[in-house]
Amino acid sequence: MKFKLTAIATAVGILTMGSALAAEVDLEKLQADVDKLNAKAVEWEEWKAPKTLVHLAGYADVGYTDKQGEPGSFKVGTFSPIFHYQFSDIVMMEAELEFTIDETGKSEAGIDYFTVDYFISDYVALIGGKFLSPIGQFRQNLHPSWINRMASAPVGFGHDQAAPNAEIGLMFRGGFPVGGRNTMSYAAYIGNGPTFEADGGEIEGIETPGLNRDGDGGKVGGGRLGFYIPGIKLDLGASYATGKASVRTIDNTGAISYDKGRDYTVYGADLTWRISTFRLLGEYVSQEYGAQASSAAPDSGKWTAWYAQASYQFAPSKWEAVLRYGEYDTPHDGQDRNQSAVGVNYLFASNVVAKLDYEFNENPNPGFDAENRVLVQFAYGF
Amino acid sequence: MNTQWLKISGSVLSALLITAGLLATGTGVAAEADSKKGDFTRGVQAWADNCTRCHDVRDPKELRDDQWITTVYHMRIRAGLTGQQTRDIITFMQGSN
Repeated sequence: MKFKLTAIATAVGILTMGSALAAEVDLEKLQADVDKLNAKAVEWEEWKAPKTLVHLAGYADVGYTDKQGEPGSFKVGTFSPIFHYQFSDIVMMEAELEFTIDETGKSEAGIDYFTVDYFISDYVALIGGKFLSPIGQFRQNLHPSWINRMASAPVGFGHDQAAPNAEIGLMFRGGFPVGGRNTMSYAAYIGNGPTFEADGGEIEGIETPGLNRDGDGGKVGGGRLGFYIPGIKLDLGASYATGKASVRTIDNTGAISYDKGRDYTVYGADLTWRISTFRLLGEYVSQEYGAQASSAAPDSGKWTAWYAQASYQFAPSKWEAVLRYGEYDTPHDGQDRNQSAVGVNYLFASNVVAKLDYEFNENPNPGFDAENRVLVQFAYGF
Repeated sequence: MNTQWLKISGSVLSALLITAGLLATGTGVAAEADSKKGDFTRGVQAWADNCTRCHDVRDPKELRDDQWITTVYHMRIRAGLTGQQTRDIITFMQGSN
């Protein structure tokens, strides 16, 4: 009996010791797991708010265009990567490149904008470099192909037409509350201004690519003031800029010269309004320059354009219908356009869209024609 | 440099200086606002108010938390958002990611 009790006591002792050892081992494993998780949590927090950030965004589109009187062609529209480098909430460097392919298959690269943005306070940022013109809305905010609900820009809002594209200079920009959730936004800039392209004693167009040299020495300054009412999703804007610009001439040797600066003014108004999936856009812009008797192209001139666009998504389906009308008036009868366009879109996602458009183009001046076009486009914003 | 250029540049510089002055005055307020953290609830409202002005809203899950910071700061410039709206929207996007 005594032997039996001793054996049982020994067995219990061994088992108890084994359990304690097992518990110790489990605790060690648990502690290791917790340490690992803590390390991961710290890593995840780092992803939330690092000091220095690098990000690649942008957009691209491909498509097909069939213009009256020309063979239909597949197209690469643009590949536009946007680089963001940001240090804390103080400074951001932004650069949008633009890669295109011309009719001969030659690739071209350009810089749409390149700026260093210094966030001075909650209400103002100082921007230096090449920036998209703050005049109006289409060129600075609505032109990317994944945002633009049609496959083309409205007439007069393309490169070097009535709406200025870009500027090199300095700009203050920001927004502030004006009661409730309503806000005012502003942009005030000074820059090198545009140049005029002359041919045969006439100015053929106003070039606004963002010039890296101010040929005439006269600066252009102005900006845009916007008022946004979020309760009814209505955004209204007015833009104005003025200054000096001149005709650029390139002689047979390739030497570049500039006329004396002449008066230059641009002004415009814009509107965006949205109710659920219905969206209405409208914009007017006018660029004009004064006469100068000593110039290679002495006469004054005015380029104006406006458009209105309505779109409606048949939610919850992904189909969307679009209508647009626009007019473009220049000093040259051959360049003038009136355009009606109708389109249907399929929205794969908010940033991925397929478009099918038909443009009715006409030149309102007697003796001039304009060709209609069918456009197909697939656009992706990333 | 002619007198007209002086007049134009003077007007532009005046406008810029007035803007800068107004904004510098607001820097005290801004400094106070700068100390504020982003707020998730305000971020939902700011996101719904502003992010459909030009395009359809983007799903918070489309990007990583750090990518939302640069993306929303980029939109601060484009859309004229205030610093506080920017921080609120980032807080919402990261919190919903």
